[in-house]
Amino acid sequence: MKADHSSALSTEQKEILQEVMNIAFGKASADLADIIDIYVALSVPNILIMPASKVKNYIENEVKDYGIIDIVKQQYWGEFKGIAFLIFSSGAGKKLISLFQKNENLSFDSEPIDAMEKETLVEVGNILIGACVGKLAELLGDILTYSPPVAMIEQKPADSISKNTFDLNCTAIILKTVFRFENEDVCGNLFLTTSNKSIHWLKKALNKILDEYE
Amino acid sequence: MTIEKILIIDDSPIARKIIKSCIPKDKEYDVSEAQNGKEGLEKFKENQPDVTFLDLTMPVMGGVECLEAILKFSKRAKVVVVTADVQIKSISKVTEIGAFRVIKKPPSKEGLQKVLMDIQNNPGE
Repeated sequence: MKADHSSALSTEQKEILQEVMNIAFGKASADLADIIDIYVALSVPNILIMPASKVKNYIENEVKDYGIIDIVKQQYWGEFKGIAFLIFSSGAGKKLISLFQKNENLSFDSEPIDAMEKETLVEVGNILIGACVGKLAELLGDILTYSPPVAMIEQKPADSISKNTFDLNCTAIILKTVFRFENEDVCGNLFLTTSNKSIHWLKKALNKILDEYE
Repeated sequence: MTIEKILIIDDSPIARKIIKSCIPKDKEYDVSEAQNGKEGLEKFKENQPDVTFLDLTMPVMGGVECLEAILKFSKRAKVVVVTADVQIKSISKVTEIGAFRVIKKPPSKEGLQKVLMDIQNNPGE
C-alpha cells in the first residue's frame, strides 16, 4: 500500500507541533535537572516529514559526526505512537555515571563499567524520553503506554537502527531536538518518530490547540 | 504606569499568536513582533515598548543575550520571559539579569494578564 503523502501536515500544524515539542523537551530537561546536577542547553526543535524508508539514513546522517554512538530506544503507544531515539556521542554514559553517583539516585555497587554505563543511559533516557513524550501527549490530549527503554553503547550509527524498525510504506513524522549537557561536554539528539497512521489524529489534536488560541 | 506598547520576541509564529491571544481585549494595544533576539533588540530600540515578552531558545540571538542587551539599553525595561526552558538554573539566570517575571509556556490568559497588572501597579519593581 502506498503512503498517503496528501495527509502531511500544513505549515501551521508543523509550527504548533514544533512549539509543543519545545515545551515538552523543556519540561523533560527540567525534570532531569531536578534529579541530577546538570544544565541542559536547548535548541529550537525541528519537524520533518519524509518517507519512512528514509528515516534510518536520515538519523544516521544527523549523528555521523559523533562517529560511535550510545543510543537509547523506547517505543510508545497511543493515538500518537512511534519510537524515540535518544542518541549521544560515545562515552556519554561514562561521563554521566558520576552525576548519578553524586546524587545517589542509582546504586551501581561493583557492577562492570559497561553495565553501569547502560544503566545510566537507561535512566537518562527514561527521564528525558518519558517526560518529553508524556508532556507531548498531555498537550495533545493523548494517553500513552511505553516499552522499557533499551540502551546500547559504542554502536556504529548504521548498526544501531534496524531496517525493519519502520513500516517502509508509511510517511514518517520526525520531531528532532539537539541538546548539550553544559559543563559535561555531552551532546545529544532526541528523535521522536511517528507514522502517517497517527497523522489524522495528530492533525485534529493540533487544530484543537490552535482553536483554543483563536 | 499605563501599558500601550507591547513587543513579542519569539521565533515561533504560533507562540507569538498564543501570547497575542492572551493579551486582554479591554483596550487596543500597539503590539509588534520579532522572530529572534537580534530583530527583537532592534524593534525594542525603535519602538521602546512598555512591556516585552521574550522567549529564550531562539536562533540568531538567544533570549538571554537579548535580555542583557535590552536592559543595557534601558534599565527600566519590563521584560517578561515566556519560555519552555523551566530549569531552575535558567529561571534564576534571567531573574538575576533583571527579567520582571518568568512565565512557563504555554502561557495562560490569567497568568499573562496578572503580569500586566503587576507591571501597571508596580512599575518601580
